Amino acid sequence: MAAMALRRLLLRYFPPGIILEYVEGVESKTKSIDLLDLRPDTDVTALVEEIQKREPLITASCLEHVVCLVQRLQEKLGEKQNHKFSLFKVLRTHILPLTNVAFNKSGSRFITGSYDRTCKLWDTASGEELHSLEGHRNVVYAIAFNNPYGDKIATGSFDKTCKLWSTETGKCYHTFRGHSAEIVCLSFNPQSTLLATGSMDTTAKLWDLEKGEEVATLNGHSAEIIALSFNTTGDRIITGSFDHTVGVWDVGTGRLLHTLIGHRGEISSAQFNWDCSLIVTGSMDKTCMLWSAVTGTHIATLAGHSREVLDVCFDYAGQRIATASADARVYNAGTKQCIAKLEGHEDEISKVCFNPKGNCILTASSDKTARLWDAATGHCLQILEGHTDEIFSCAFNYKGDTIITGSKDNSCRIWH
Amino acid sequence: MGLLSILRKLKSTPDQEVRILLLGLDNAGKTTLLKQLASEDISHITPTQGFNIKSVQSQGFKLNVWDIGGQRKIRPYWRNYFENTDILIYVIDSADRKRFEETGQELAELLDEEKLSGVPVLIFANKQDLLTAAPASEIAEGLNLHTIRDRVWQIQSCSALSGEGVQDGMNWVCKNVSTKKK
Repeated sequence: MAAMALRRLLLRYFPPGIILEYVEGVESKTKSIDLLDLRPDTDVTALVEEIQKREPLITASCLEHVVCLVQRLQEKLGEKQNHKFSLFKVLRTHILPLTNVAFNKSGSRFITGSYDRTCKLWDTASGEELHSLEGHRNVVYAIAFNNPYGDKIATGSFDKTCKLWSTETGKCYHTFRGHSAEIVCLSFNPQSTLLATGSMDTTAKLWDLEKGEEVATLNGHSAEIIALSFNTTGDRIITGSFDHTVGVWDVGTGRLLHTLIGHRGEISSAQFNWDCSLIVTGSMDKTCMLWSAVTGTHIATLAGHSREVLDVCFDYAGQRIATASADARVYNAGTKQCIAKLEGHEDEISKVCFNPKGNCILTASSDKTARLWDAATGHCLQILEGHTDEIFSCAFNYKGDTIITGSKDNSCRIWH
Repeated sequence: MGLLSILRKLKSTPDQEVRILLLGLDNAGKTTLLKQLASEDISHITPTQGFNIKSVQSQGFKLNVWDIGGQRKIRPYWRNYFENTDILIYVIDSADRKRFEETGQELAELLDEEKLSGVPVLIFANKQDLLTAAPASEIAEGLNLHTIRDRVWQIQSCSALSGEGVQDGMNWVCKNVSTKKK
């Protein structure tokens, strides 16, 4: 075995972790030590001892540095956040309703998709429009940055194609053709070598970004695919379908590994947790389900909602789950107990997300408001009012101090 | 409604569901008609910048009605909504004689669209409550409706404001859906 030498240690705030850059032989590599259970009051000395036992790269000489990093992570977690958000800018250059919105990793840029067939790239600090990505012949529905890099943007359209763009120049690198119906979900793999697209044609496809070619078609669902998501390592992808099931696929071979069967209504959302052990699914059958990502077996049903579950997500550490329906709820992914009910929206909630730190939840609703909630208590912290029609989408930046909302009223709003 | 509900309404519908596209120039009364169909308040209606969707039960059908904004700058985007259309309803402001030519032109272009080929079309000669409204027969003649031969069509005079004639039009819709869907 080639000798391994540690080059440097990097912090990852959300979810808490330390990234190791090291050299093995002549190859430069990275790996991460996840500290998902870290709390502000965790015993640092004991934790670092534990890390040293588990990780041969962490030698006595760098222990002091590791202690320092863990303390920085704890400080970050312990920071009191009573940030009040207020409207910073209303962006009105889309001439038809918005669909989805997304930030890049640093939060310096964000993108908006629209019924006006464009995707626009914005500068978050100034609210200036940097590029209008034009070329689709129908609604731009699904959009994404290739985070953490952020140098590419993918757009999926009702015109059945997907396009890959340069963030820097706004030029289109590739148009991916092959789906026979609307593309409604997409995602880059974490390595940013592949793009996955899900379509109303009941298939998902994997595309090679470099070559601009189709790599695999994930064939197996009997109805529309409306959600897809890679796991953290990028070797698995899940597809949620209106056929009531979720497919778990091997990315390398395109083979179907498991079909998660149990929901009695269309799937609305599906996601892996950070350590790739669990999958959460939301359904029109008014429930969420937890599954083992490894075996595909059903672990628990999170019941309690009286209406369709329209969105579901894990927090960054993968320890809690937020669900959106007529009201929103927070569940502990370990105990499966409901921790909090987020009540107050006057119409259905269509999107829900945690801030990266996990102490705060953002919801977007048909009642024209977005709301912020304390993730632990369920108290409403703030109501973001101003949109004049339903809010379709919302997002936090990585720092958690900026929010964007996209609405049917044709506008996007930036909140600081 | 939410984006997900829109996707659900986008897919090819089961037998008992009908996708209806409501088009016409700005200020023709499409949104008023939509709200009248859904028995909603019609006192505060503003120009539609995007679209509105409502589902109404009628004669055993679930009618999913898509009301699309008609302003000139967003008419090129009507095409976004053509997929899976079962019935086209075209609304005309019968009192806006200055724009009969414009509305006739837009209708003719719609009837030429490949994705709408063969789709039954109901033309509502709306705003019959106004004294200056042209009768349906005059509009039919002005728009050369009798030359439509590639689909079934009907013109129905109505007032979306009072509701008069609206139900007659919808009866025609249900009748023509049933022949197509069953």
